[in-house]
Amino acid sequence: MTLLTSLARLEAAASGRARPLSQVRHRRLAGQPLVIIPLTLAGDPDTPVAAMTGTSRADQHLLAVPQPRDRDLRLGFLTGLAQIVLGYIASRQHATEVLPATRNHEERRRYADAPQILVPNRAARDYLGLLGRSTRFQRTDGPFPVDPAVPALGKWLTFFADSADQPGSALLADLTSLLAEHWASGQSPLEDASLAAQLAWIDPPPGMTGLQAALATEDPLRCPPAGPATDPGFDQAILEPLVRNYDRAAQAGSQAGTDRAAAEITSALRGQLEPTWNAVGDAMSLLRALPETAGAARRWATDRDSFTRFSSYIGDGGLPQPRRDHAATAAARLDRLERAQAAYDAERALEDPFILAELRTAGEAFAGEVVSAQPSRTTTTTAGRTILRPRFTVRTDDPVRIEPGRVLICPTRPGQRIRIADLPRTGTDAEVVLEVIQGMGTPAKPKPGAVPPLGELVSYTIDPGYWAQRDFPPVDQTPWTHGGPPVRQRADQAEEPQS
Amino acid sequence: MTSADSRLDRLRGSTPPLSHTARTVAALTANPGCARRALMDAAGADKAVIAAHVGFPQASGASQSPFALARGAIFETQVKTGGGADLIRLLRDRLRLALPEVSYSDLESVGGNTDRDVRYQRTRALLLRAARHPDQAGTLYDHPLLKLQVGGHLAYLEPDVVAFQIGGKFHVIEIKSFAVIDGQADEESVAAAAMQAAAYILALQDLLTAESLPTGAVSTDAILVTPENFSRQATATFIDVRKQVSTLRRQLARMTRIDLLLDALPAGLTFDLAPEPDGNPSRSPGDLAGALEAVPARYQPRCLQTCELAGFCRDEARAAGALTVLGSVVRDDLGGLDSISTALALASGSREPSADQADIARALRHARNLSNTLSGGAA
Amino acid sequence: MQEPLDALENRIAELRRAIRSALAAGEDERLRDLRAELRRAERSWEALVTPPDRPEEDRQGLASLLPAREQVHQALTLLGTPAAPKLISAVHEAFFAGRLAPSRLASLRRDEERSYRAAPGARPYYLCPALMSDLLSPARALLCVSTWALEQRITGPLSPRVDFLTAAIRIAQAAPSLSGPGTASPSAAVERLLRRFAMNIPGAGPADPGGNLSSEAIAAAAQAELDIHSAQDQDDRAQAARRARQQLSDAEQLFGTRLTAIPGTGTAPR
Repeated sequence: MTLLTSLARLEAAASGRARPLSQVRHRRLAGQPLVIIPLTLAGDPDTPVAAMTGTSRADQHLLAVPQPRDRDLRLGFLTGLAQIVLGYIASRQHATEVLPATRNHEERRRYADAPQILVPNRAARDYLGLLGRSTRFQRTDGPFPVDPAVPALGKWLTFFADSADQPGSALLADLTSLLAEHWASGQSPLEDASLAAQLAWIDPPPGMTGLQAALATEDPLRCPPAGPATDPGFDQAILEPLVRNYDRAAQAGSQAGTDRAAAEITSALRGQLEPTWNAVGDAMSLLRALPETAGAARRWATDRDSFTRFSSYIGDGGLPQPRRDHAATAAARLDRLERAQAAYDAERALEDPFILAELRTAGEAFAGEVVSAQPSRTTTTTAGRTILRPRFTVRTDDPVRIEPGRVLICPTRPGQRIRIADLPRTGTDAEVVLEVIQGMGTPAKPKPGAVPPLGELVSYTIDPGYWAQRDFPPVDQTPWTHGGPPVRQRADQAEEPQS
Repeated sequence: MTSADSRLDRLRGSTPPLSHTARTVAALTANPGCARRALMDAAGADKAVIAAHVGFPQASGASQSPFALARGAIFETQVKTGGGADLIRLLRDRLRLALPEVSYSDLESVGGNTDRDVRYQRTRALLLRAARHPDQAGTLYDHPLLKLQVGGHLAYLEPDVVAFQIGGKFHVIEIKSFAVIDGQADEESVAAAAMQAAAYILALQDLLTAESLPTGAVSTDAILVTPENFSRQATATFIDVRKQVSTLRRQLARMTRIDLLLDALPAGLTFDLAPEPDGNPSRSPGDLAGALEAVPARYQPRCLQTCELAGFCRDEARAAGALTVLGSVVRDDLGGLDSISTALALASGSREPSADQADIARALRHARNLSNTLSGGAA
Repeated sequence: MQEPLDALENRIAELRRAIRSALAAGEDERLRDLRAELRRAERSWEALVTPPDRPEEDRQGLASLLPAREQVHQALTLLGTPAAPKLISAVHEAFFAGRLAPSRLASLRRDEERSYRAAPGARPYYLCPALMSDLLSPARALLCVSTWALEQRITGPLSPRVDFLTAAIRIAQAAPSLSGPGTASPSAAVERLLRRFAMNIPGAGPADPGGNLSSEAIAAAAQAELDIHSAQDQDDRAQAARRARQQLSDAEQLFGTRLTAIPGTGTAPR
């Protein structure tokens, strides 16, 4: 968390209402995302108990498992969920666009749209990943066959969960994380994991402070938790007795009895999920009101590429993604994600003054006044050629923590590349000596305005390309959702199913 | 009974002390710097009842869902059937337990008697015999009952299984129903299990020490038995809990020096609810809250997940404008500051920083300037 | 699979042979014990050859095809060892018609003991708990049949494993051949039951986890391990059985005795 965000949280705590952070959205919010609100029995990923899904406020669908320990009922639930998710994905596969050939690529087609799944919180996102893991290896033949939709669901959910790990990807997102990018509450991040509490800070009911409204959401009777874990009080007082009714009816062989019990259970679960459904809708309205950046559209295009590749893989009969060997790849993966995050921050800083300000407080960007310039400076290369290397100095009191030699970009001059030539400090000030290494023209034909005029206020952030250019991660560690190699052809054993 | 014990008893009041379980013993290490918690745990006070009476009832944790409890019980039963068939398989595969070692002793009741002291005596007798005569020892001991000194009271602790005959050492086996998926499990759950195992290991070590037997006979590798991936098949994971064992020992030792904390209290302080004959508390909530406030606490948001009093302490911290309510990340970023209003005053420049606040004050002012520019620019 | 009557008659014949050799050896005390047991067995045999009871109503007021106690008796007779309710239920589901819910066994033990104390020997057999070898108290969750020898109804430290292996052998023998050609494939319930045993006995399981089970392999592997433990286990049980015959009443020899004193203080159980 940067100091800028911490300051905003302090102010929120003092004022009793959330404070705005970034005012623009860096990720696409689809016109019709698929919302999934899963519930599991006491948080056990093995026993799903319900899922509320839908692509708009009015279009709400509830799947429920009346007896969560019954394997057949569970399978029915998974099959139903699979049909919803696969149906939604198929609906995004209608329109395509053609990308003309470039020097590096031939002409190709890609989907003009992509699916977007939204869930209430991080735990729900993790649950979908676990669900993908538990279903993608299930067999459609053998002693305990399942409907082919189920392993298909598993492969797709794994695809979504893997994509969600990539900073800037919008294929699967959780609303608490999205909201936290734009509003600072006056409570701790732990408490922010509750969607209802966050919304309470951002938009409390009239007559209440954000804090008061947030505290009210901690009462599970008024505000059922968003899941995936069910509220233990609800389990004890309502769900368990209803499930016992179901069991008794099933044992007595009464179809009418089980139907009635199932209806009661479904109705009780709906009551637990509906408030969260409404909260999700509210969160989405808040996010839609924010303007989207150009970078969001660019990243969505990358997401569409990834979606197109995976669709084609599945269409070719792709095997389930292999199990992860966490120990072996953990370090490389962490390194890759850190770079991706830094690149994402730097890209956003170019389009978002808030992010730029954040990076300035962290010393990863700076701004100041141009105090001197050498626009006609040249050097000689080793080959003996004379090239233009203008320099200028910016005085700043930002706590710059970028090493000399690092390549920078100015948000208002994106065509240029600047390098830090020297960074002498005097007290809290620094006089950064910058050298233009790209976009300055040649000694014969210099570009006008390559060096900013004296007195201008300029800002610089690290070139996002810096993280992409150096040290491409080894190809076999690039997730194949982002251009890595196809999945190893390995026949994975189906696991012993639960009886 | 020591004078500390009688002072603790007065602090707790008229109700009998809460019994400790491995879970509550493990929780003692959660916030070692909190005097309020340390005193209440040492005295065996019922934090949940007290919290409810001062107006901050805590919602029950996920472990209290009847389904979670049933799930745990079912898995434990499954692992233990057939003379611990799953356990024997796992111990043979992973620790090279010899084939003839299949003896199974059930210590949950002694001849139908489930009195805790009877079970403890029997457990003690069997385990000491095993330690002294390994060639006559059994292999698996189901639901042994151990004792551990916690503050002024003896707690009965009940591990799931203790295994012997593996390299001549006692191993604590914990059976939990959260899954290990592709070699990974929920970190919090594993950490909790590790600390609970440490409590059992301490109890075993103390048992041997009391008889002048070497504590090296107790392995500090706990064996965690959980479902594997998404099947019901059991798998074993080994956790090195040496660090947890020493942390817990240190914390328990600190509890015996509770005198220091007691000395700092106003005379006559008590958390007693003073129940009437019909059971209703006669102590006024305001009075009880005042008693709590007389003992300093160290609230952090994590308390909400581990301590029944958290709601009360959070409210107290908020009222005092403490920085800690915003969480550890913000607190660490503003290292050295502990009040929200101080931080904001330094940021606005309306307050002069002290010498050690100079750096953070400057950073805050810098951030405030940037923030002002942003909100000036945007509407 | 032995009919209860056959098992009983074999037992009676065994007891008679044992009485004759005890007579010849002049072992008065053993003679007394054996005679007492023979009397019990003969009473059971009498009751067995008279017409059976009226079928019980189960709790929901629906008549079941067979009373729960009969179903348990069937399963236990197949197993031949003391068993926990879950195993009894699983064996019944695998091999017999009609469902036996484990919950129906919950009150069975108490009911059986009450019935015995009201009219000892009225029934051909009783379902009773296994007895722990150390203190001769009833084992918490193990049921067996009263007509079995006392040694068979006692459980010592190695007995849980021994019974596990024995059950594996008996079930493997009862299941139709699993991998032979031209045989009906075994039901899913039998397969599930066998797989649990196969996984936990070295050498019993198929090489890869999804592969076919062989009941011959399971039985052979179980027997191989059983050979390691059986001598010691039988010794433990025999010693305990001797003590039981000396110290316990008839009812206690069936239903166990409860400890009311601290062990090691010299206070013998009543």
